[in-house]
Amino acid sequence: MPETKGDLTMAVKDIAEAVAVFDRVKVVELVEAEIAAKTEIDEILNAGLIDAMDIVGKRFSSGELFVPEMLMAAKAMKAGLEVLKPHLSAGAVAAKGTVVIGTVKGDLHDIGKNLVALMMEGAGLEVVDLGVDIDAEKFVKAAVEHNAGVVALSALLTTTMPTMEIIVAAIKEAGIAVKTIVGGAPVTEAFADQIGADGFSTDAPGAVELTRKLLST
Amino acid sequence: MNRAITNFDQKMLGSIHNYSLELLNDTGIRFPNENAREIFREHGFRTDGEMVFFKEKDIRMALNTVPSSFTIKARNPAKDIQIGGDNYMMAPGYGPPFIIEPSGEKRNALLDDVHKFCKLVQTSQYLDFNSSIIVQPTEVPQETAHLDILLATLLMTDKPIMGSSSSGIAAKDSLKLAELVWGNTDEPVMISLVDSLSPLQYAAEMVDSLMVFAEAGQPVIVHSSCSLGSTGPITIAGSLVISNATTLAGICLAQLINPGTPIVYGLGGSPTEMKTGGYVNASPEDAKHTAIVTALGRYYNIPCRSQGALTESFCLDYQAGMESAMMLTTAALSGANLSLHACGTYGSMLGMSYEKFIADEDLCGAIKKLMQPVEFTDDAFSMDMIKELGTSGNYLMEMHTLKRCRSEFFMPELSIRTIHNKWLEMEPRDITERAAGILAKRFAEYEKPEIDPDIEKHLVQYVNTRKGL
Repeated sequence: MPETKGDLTMAVKDIAEAVAVFDRVKVVELVEAEIAAKTEIDEILNAGLIDAMDIVGKRFSSGELFVPEMLMAAKAMKAGLEVLKPHLSAGAVAAKGTVVIGTVKGDLHDIGKNLVALMMEGAGLEVVDLGVDIDAEKFVKAAVEHNAGVVALSALLTTTMPTMEIIVAAIKEAGIAVKTIVGGAPVTEAFADQIGADGFSTDAPGAVELTRKLLST
Repeated sequence: MNRAITNFDQKMLGSIHNYSLELLNDTGIRFPNENAREIFREHGFRTDGEMVFFKEKDIRMALNTVPSSFTIKARNPAKDIQIGGDNYMMAPGYGPPFIIEPSGEKRNALLDDVHKFCKLVQTSQYLDFNSSIIVQPTEVPQETAHLDILLATLLMTDKPIMGSSSSGIAAKDSLKLAELVWGNTDEPVMISLVDSLSPLQYAAEMVDSLMVFAEAGQPVIVHSSCSLGSTGPITIAGSLVISNATTLAGICLAQLINPGTPIVYGLGGSPTEMKTGGYVNASPEDAKHTAIVTALGRYYNIPCRSQGALTESFCLDYQAGMESAMMLTTAALSGANLSLHACGTYGSMLGMSYEKFIADEDLCGAIKKLMQPVEFTDDAFSMDMIKELGTSGNYLMEMHTLKRCRSEFFMPELSIRTIHNKWLEMEPRDITERAAGILAKRFAEYEKPEIDPDIEKHLVQYVNTRKGL
C-alpha cells in the first residue's frame, strides 16, 4: 500500500532527523518502533541512520556543526545501530567494513586518532582501535585478525612519520588485501604518496569519506 | 578592582588545591614506570596497577621542600639567571618540527636551523636562556638529536641551557655534557621541561628523565596541560584541577627522590577549536588560564612557568601581533617567572619562523620595559629643572634629557616610528622583508663565545662517541 509505505519512509526520516539533533533516546525509540512496524531493516539502516550521518558530516564540514555535536550525533546513530544489529543479516554490518586504527610506534598523541575512530563508528564502520605507540607487527596482526578493509595510521610528531612508511611497507609485504590511510598534523598528501599509502585526509570527516570510498572499491 | 585576570583570592585558589587533592587521593595519577612506583611504595604510597594515589600530607611534605627561588648558572657567569621572586626569564620556541618561510611555505627543520637560532639567542638583547628543542632537526637520527642540540647550545651560546628530557638516556647525556663544562656540581646548570600527558598521567620517557634530573638536583619545569574540551574539561576550573593534580604528583616524585630539587610549576590550558577539534594556544582563555596559574604558583610559593608569544597565524600579520602580545603580556604582568616560546613560533607552536623571532624580540623588549618599576628618585622627579624651565621650557636642550636619551625609552628594532611620507619611501616597507634585513645583520655580527678549547674538545668527543662516530 503506497500510502503506508510513504508514512513509513517519513518515519524513517524522523530517525535521521533525531540523529541530526543528537537525540539518542528518540533514535532508539524510533528504530524500535520501525522494527515493530516491520519496516525493511535495510531502509532503517540506510535512509535512517547512514543518511543521517551523511547530513551530519556535511554540516560539520561546512562549519555549521561543532565537534562535540557531531560526536553526539555519531553516538546517537551508534545507539540506533545497536538496536538494529540483532535484526541485520550476518554480512550487513561487516559489509560496511572494518577499520584498524592506531597511533604509530614512538608517538603517544591520540586526540586526532580518537576523533577519527569515533566518527568512523558513527558512520557505521566497525572500528578496531589499537591505541598509541603501535608497531608494524601489531597493525599487520590486527588487520589479519579482524579482516580489516582499511588500516588507518596516525602521527603527530615528524620524528614518527618514518614509522608510517615502515608500517605501510610491512602491510604490503604481508600480502593482505587492506588499504592504508595516514593522517596527523605533520602528514601531507605528498608524504602519503611518497610512502605508498592509499589515502590521506586533513580532517576526521575527510578520513571517514576516504575510508568509505576505499571500502567500496 | 575586580578584573577577571586579577581576581584570585586565597579561597578560590584553595578550592583548586582541595579538588586536586581529592583527585590525587580518589582517582590517582598514572605512572607507567615501575621504578617510579617503587619509590612511591617505599614511601608508603598506595598504588594499584600503574595508578599512584596521594594523601594530603604527602603533597604538603613535597611542597615544603621545593625552593622558592634558585639560580641557574650560565657558561658566562654574567648571564646566570635567577628563577623565582620578581624575576621573569624568557626562552625562545620549544619543539617545532617545521620552519615557516616568509613565503608561507612550510619545510622540515634541520640541524642548520638549530645553529642559526643559537646565533639569534646568543645575540638577543632580551632572551635570557636557551630552549632545548628550539626546533626539532628532522634529518639527524632522532635517538641522538638531543646531543646535536645540546652541543650547539653549549658551544654557540654562553647563556643557560635546557637539558633534554626526551628520554632517561637523553637526560643522562645532558648531565654528562654539563659535567664536562661545570665539573661535578649539584648547583643548577640547566633546566628541563617535563610534560605530563593529559588527563592525569605521565609518559614513561618523561618520568625517566624527571627521575634522572631530580637525582642530580637539576631544576625541572613540571608542566601539565589540557586541551579544554578534548583532553580535559571544557571549563578552566575543571582543567585546572586535572593539570594541578598531575603537576603536584610529578613535583612529589621529584621531592621524594631528592628533597629540595628546584622546581618550576606549570599548567597549561588551551581551548579545543570546537569546529575542528584542533588545538588552539593563542586565545583569551589560555591567557586567563596563565594568569590563574601564576597565582597558583605564588599560592604554593614555587616559581611559575607560562606560555609565550603564541599565535595561530602563519605570517607577520595583525593576528600574529595581536595574539602574541596578548599572550606574553598577560604572562608577564600576571607574574610568571619564565616563559618558553617567547620568540619565533607560529601556528600553535608547530612552526618556527626567523622573521617572527625578530618581531617577537621587539615584543619581549617592550614587555620587559613595561615590567620595570617606574623610577621615583630625586633625579627622576627633576624638580629643580622643571621649576627653572617653567612654562617656556625646551626639555630637549637639557643635560637631564641628554643623559637619559639612550636609555630611558624602549627602542624597537623592527617596529616603525616614523611619519607617513618616510614610511611610504621606506625600502623595504614590508615588515617581513625588514625583519629579513635585521636577521642578516644579526647573523653577520654573531661571534662564537669564548670557551676553553679543552672543554670544547671533550664536549665534541663525548657527542661523537655517543653518536658512534
